[in-house]
Amino acid sequence: MNKTQRFLRDNIGFFFVLPWLIGFLIFKAYPFVSSLYYSFTDYDLFKGISKYTFENYVNVFANKQERTALIITFKYAFMTVPLKLVSALFIAYILNFKIKGVNFFRTAYYIPSILGGSVAIAVLWRALFKDGGLIAMILGRIGIESPKFFTDNNWALFMVCLLRVWQFGSAMVIFLAALKGVPTELYESAAIDGAGKWRQFFKITVPLITPVIFYNLITQLVAAFQEFNGPFIITKGGPRGSTTLMSLLVYNNAFGGAYKMGKASAQAWVLFVILVIFTAISFWSQKHWVYYADEDGR
Amino acid sequence: MKRKLAATLLAATMVVAMFAGCGTTASKETATPDASTDATSVTETATTEEASSQDPNAYEECTLTFDWWGGDSRHEATIAAIEAFEKKYPGIKIEYNYGAWSDWETAKASEYLSGTNADIQQTNFDWIRKYDGDANTYLDLRTVSDTLDLSQYSDTVLALPVDSKGGLAGIPVSLTGRTFFWNKATYEKAGLSVPTTLKELMEAGPIFKEKLGDEYYPLVLTEYDRAIFMAFYLQAQTGEPIIDQNNNFTMTEEQLKLGLEFITSLEENHVIPTIEYYDGEGAEAIDKSVRWIEGKYAGCHNWDSAHKSLVSALPNGDDLVVGNALMDTGAHGSGTYVKVSQMFSISAKCEHPHEAALFLNYILNDEEGAGIMSTERGIPESKAAFAVCEAAGKIDPMVAAAHKSVMDSNPMYWNPLFDDSSLKGDTALYNNLFEGLSYGVRDGSYSIEDAAADLYAAYTAIAPAK
Repeated sequence: MNKTQRFLRDNIGFFFVLPWLIGFLIFKAYPFVSSLYYSFTDYDLFKGISKYTFENYVNVFANKQERTALIITFKYAFMTVPLKLVSALFIAYILNFKIKGVNFFRTAYYIPSILGGSVAIAVLWRALFKDGGLIAMILGRIGIESPKFFTDNNWALFMVCLLRVWQFGSAMVIFLAALKGVPTELYESAAIDGAGKWRQFFKITVPLITPVIFYNLITQLVAAFQEFNGPFIITKGGPRGSTTLMSLLVYNNAFGGAYKMGKASAQAWVLFVILVIFTAISFWSQKHWVYYADEDGR
Repeated sequence: MKRKLAATLLAATMVVAMFAGCGTTASKETATPDASTDATSVTETATTEEASSQDPNAYEECTLTFDWWGGDSRHEATIAAIEAFEKKYPGIKIEYNYGAWSDWETAKASEYLSGTNADIQQTNFDWIRKYDGDANTYLDLRTVSDTLDLSQYSDTVLALPVDSKGGLAGIPVSLTGRTFFWNKATYEKAGLSVPTTLKELMEAGPIFKEKLGDEYYPLVLTEYDRAIFMAFYLQAQTGEPIIDQNNNFTMTEEQLKLGLEFITSLEENHVIPTIEYYDGEGAEAIDKSVRWIEGKYAGCHNWDSAHKSLVSALPNGDDLVVGNALMDTGAHGSGTYVKVSQMFSISAKCEHPHEAALFLNYILNDEEGAGIMSTERGIPESKAAFAVCEAAGKIDPMVAAAHKSVMDSNPMYWNPLFDDSSLKGDTALYNNLFEGLSYGVRDGSYSIEDAAADLYAAYTAIAPAK
C-alpha cells in the first residue's frame, strides 16, 4: 500500500462528509456569523455599510411596529404550541386503542402534516375561511353569522395558529410511538387498584411519556417562532399588523424591496436569542417534570 | 496539519471546479445581417467599435444573455422575436431567461449584487434609483445610438429614464398611468351612467346602496390605490407633483390631512368598500375578485395596461368602459401622472454593447421585430413600432382608449420615491396606514390627524419637505 492509498484509506470518512461540510460552511456557518456582524451595521445590500450601530437592536424594542411584531410572535407561539401538543397527544391517545379502522384514522390525521408548510394548504385555508367561503356558508346554513376570520383583529391570529395546530400529525406519530412504549402491566395493575381511564392517563401515561412531550415541545417551539408561510400567504401580516410575525418583518426588510440587511439581521438575531433562552429554560425545567426511566428516575 | 492542508486543497479544488466553465465566450468574427440566414457572409474585421463606426449593421458573432418577466403571451411573443432576430443575424445567439413577476425583482437584485445580471434586461423605471445609483449598472444607451434608433422616441419620453450622471439608463417600451374602468351594466342597473366627474362619483355611492344593496359599490380601491388616488387629489389641488423632480416632498401635513379626509369620505359615502370588506374576500387582485366578476364592484382605478385582465374577468367584456380622468378633481385638473411601465436596458458590463443595441433596435423599432413583439408590453412608445402595430390591427381599441384617457389628462411628473420600499410593500406604510385608517376611523383607534402625521413623517424621511 503506497502513501496515497494509505492517505485515502485513513481519510475516507472525511471525504464522505466533505460535501456536507462545504455546504454547511458556505450556506450555514458563514451566513450565521456574518449576519451577526451585519446586525451591528446599517448594511444595505446596494448601498453597503455607512455606520456601525446598536440602533437595529434598540429598534426591535423601541419601534412600535417591531415591538408589536415581537409580541405577536410570542402570542402565536404560546397559542400554537400548547394547542398543537394537546391535540396531538389527545388524538394519539385515542388512536392507541384497538378500534376498528385505526390505521385509516392514523393516516387521515397524519396527512395534514405531510402537506407541512405547503403554500397550497395556506391558499386552501384562506379559501375555506374567507368571507363567503365554505365555512361561512355552512355557518350561514345553520343560522350562525360567520365571523370575519381574516379581517377581524380578534380572529386573524387565531386562524393562522389553527392552520398549524391542524397539522399536528408529526407530533401525534411521535406521541403514538411513545404511548406504545408504556408497559401494559402498569395499566392492568392500576385497573385492579380501581384507577379509571383518566387517572391512568395522568398518573401513568403522561409521566412516562414526558421525555417525548419535552422533545415535541422543543421542536414545536422552534417551528412556531420561525413561522412564516401561514401569515405571509393568508393575511400578509394584516389586518392592521395583527398577524405580522417577526419572521415577516425579517423577510420584508431583507428581501421585500428594502434590502436592509443590517436591520433584518438584528431582528433575526433577537428572534434567535429568544429561542435560545426558551430552549434553555425548557432544558433547565426538565429536571422538575421530565421522567427518564433509564436513569435515576429524574 | 497535513490532513488540514489536504482538506483545504480539496475544498478549494471543488469550489474552483464548480465555478469553472461559467461565463460566455465569443468569437472575433464579424458579420452583416442576412435575411436568407446564409452564414457565409461572415467576414473578418477588427473590433466592434471599428465595425460599428463603419457600418452600424455589421456585428461580431457573440452570445448575449437576455431576461424579462411577464405572462405567457408575452413570453411567446418575445421568444418568437428572438428566433426571428437570430435568423436575421446569424452568429448572434440570444440566451434567454424569463419568468413571472413574483419574486423576479428579488432574483434580479441578487444578480446585480453579484454582477451576474444579463446583458440585456427588461427593467423597471425605479430600478435606476435602486440598482444604478452610481450609474455603473446600466449602459448609457446614447453611446450606442448609432445602432439603436432613439429618434423613434419623443424627447419627453427619453428625458425620463436618466441616471445620476445624465446617461440614458433604459429605453421606455411604453408609458402607463392610472385610469378608471367602469362596469356600465352595474351603473345602468342603478339607473346611472358612468361618472365623468368626481361629484357624480360621490353621488353614486348612496344611490348604489339604496337601489342595489350594501354589496354594490361604484368603485373599489385597495390600500395602494388609495395612496395613488389621494396623490391625484392633492396634486389636482396644488398643481404640483407630490414629490417633485428635485426629490422634495411638496405637501404640508395639513394638505395630507385633506387628502386623507377625502379618502375617508369615499368610504363613508359608500363610494368604496372598507378595507375590511375588500380583504375579507381574500382576492389576490381586483380582477380575481368574485365581486368584480359579478359586477358588485362597478369600477376600479388601475393602470391602463390592466385593461386586458379586467375585461377578461367579466362575463360580458362589453360591460367594461374606460373612463376619462375625473377632471374636476381639483383646480389643476385631475392630478394624474404617468410613469414608464417597463424599459429595456443594456448592462454596463456587456462585452458586446453594439450587438445588444442591434437586438434592442430589432425588437423595438424594426418592422419585423416590433411586429412580433406587438403590444405585449403595452402600447409601444416607438413611433415605428406603433405604426407597425396599428397597421396590423394589433392595437386593441379599448387598450388604446385607456391609454389615451391617461395621456389626455395632462399628467404630471412621477417620482419613483413615491414607491419607496418604506412606503410600498406588504408591511410598509401605505398598507398599514390606509388599512389602519379604514378600521381606525370607525372604531376610534386611529384618527385622520394621526394618519396625516405618520404619512408626513414617512414622506419627509425619504424626500425632504420643499
